Amino acid sequence: MVFDRPTAFELLDSVSVFLEEKIKGELPKHLAFNVQIAINVINIVKREIENGKEINESSSKLIADILQQGNSTESLSKAIKDGKIDLGNKELQKVLLEITKMKLSVDNPKYSTYKDLVD
Amino acid sequence: MEEALKKNLEKLLQKEGLNGRVTDLEYLTGGASNETWKFFFSSKTEKRHMIFRRSLGESSPMAISKRDEAFIQQLAFKKGAPVANIIAITDKDSTLGDAYIMKHIEGETIARKILRDKEYSQAKKKLAYECGEAIAKIHQVPINNFNNMQVSSPKDLIHRLYLTYEGFKQPLPVFEFAFKWLKDQNFGEQTEKLVHGDFRLGNLIISKNGLEAVIDWELAHIGNPIQDLGWICVNSWRFGHSENIVGGFGEIDDLLAGYSSICKNNITHEQIKTWQIFGTLRWGVICLIQTFSHLYGRTNSVEKAAIGRRVSETEIDLINLIFLGGK
Repeated sequence: MVFDRPTAFELLDSVSVFLEEKIKGELPKHLAFNVQIAINVINIVKREIENGKEINESSSKLIADILQQGNSTESLSKAIKDGKIDLGNKELQKVLLEITKMKLSVDNPKYSTYKDLVD
Repeated sequence: MEEALKKNLEKLLQKEGLNGRVTDLEYLTGGASNETWKFFFSSKTEKRHMIFRRSLGESSPMAISKRDEAFIQQLAFKKGAPVANIIAITDKDSTLGDAYIMKHIEGETIARKILRDKEYSQAKKKLAYECGEAIAKIHQVPINNFNNMQVSSPKDLIHRLYLTYEGFKQPLPVFEFAFKWLKDQNFGEQTEKLVHGDFRLGNLIISKNGLEAVIDWELAHIGNPIQDLGWICVNSWRFGHSENIVGGFGEIDDLLAGYSSICKNNITHEQIKTWQIFGTLRWGVICLIQTFSHLYGRTNSVEKAAIGRRVSETEIDLINLIFLGGK
């Protein structure tokens, strides 16, 4: 690792805390709302930095296991569209669920349906 | 710029016979496609707040014009639906562009506040019933008023939604699954009606007494009326209160009871669920539209950028509804 600390994660964290603690309260409502979104965005990127690589690898593996060819979301989409995999296929349903859960763990781990499914 | 806007609003009101002054102009919400202002109007005979809404040109592909919105609101108002009365609509050559002025109605639109604050706990108890009534009144607007509005069957809607999704070239296996699944579902045979298209908290003005007004008509269209009932059940509109299927505050039986008090119908829970699933997918595609309008559009919007990462919320909801038996 050639980069010094703070790490990318730590840099983003400092911005997110700054916005939350010093900026948000100073702004009119509609701008404070957008700053909250900016904070959420930074937190998504932080989670993706932490776990994104592993999630991509696991997803590719899951897809490769149920397809004859390919390991991308594109190839899985195409297989579903072309009817190469039956919608009732339990393995397919499991793979879609697993991948989507991993996406949510980065995009919004507080989302109600996700929380219900991982608990 | 605000001074010019005030003058133009005064001119527009003058045309309606309202001679007075516009003050206290306040920007409420807006984005790349439209904006909403609140202002105070005072003349010799009256003093009141009004709302000004206008299009900013970059309209979303599903949206109708502000003038059409105002026209539809007037018709719904006549049918007794809770709608803000329209005060003025701009002409084609107006410097204000595609816009209208309506009555200001007191109340709250922020969904999280309505669902969380004690102040609304009484209102929430009967809100599902009131929403059912309001939706039914909207569905009673005679559709022969709309010659230029598209009539869409469920099949057309799914097809158009698919083309929009496909156009973004961002393959989503869960969406492919849902599109394919929806093709074989029973959407319920219904006579076509005026559909609000975005009936949910956020677009409803709520007071401690209950539903005051239905706003934001830009997704209105002609189609299967169950769509509005399914849409308000989409989990995204429960804002974390997922235990209450109708909008985060109510039950389907109450929604249907309110609806049936105005409109005789044979709508089933299963059909509403099918439209809820359609609605979830539709919201997912709207998220994509917003995302790509940020990525390819002229204006930077952190809100629209962020919405791109909410597509996965609709994916998990689709999975939950279609093959995990969720509600």
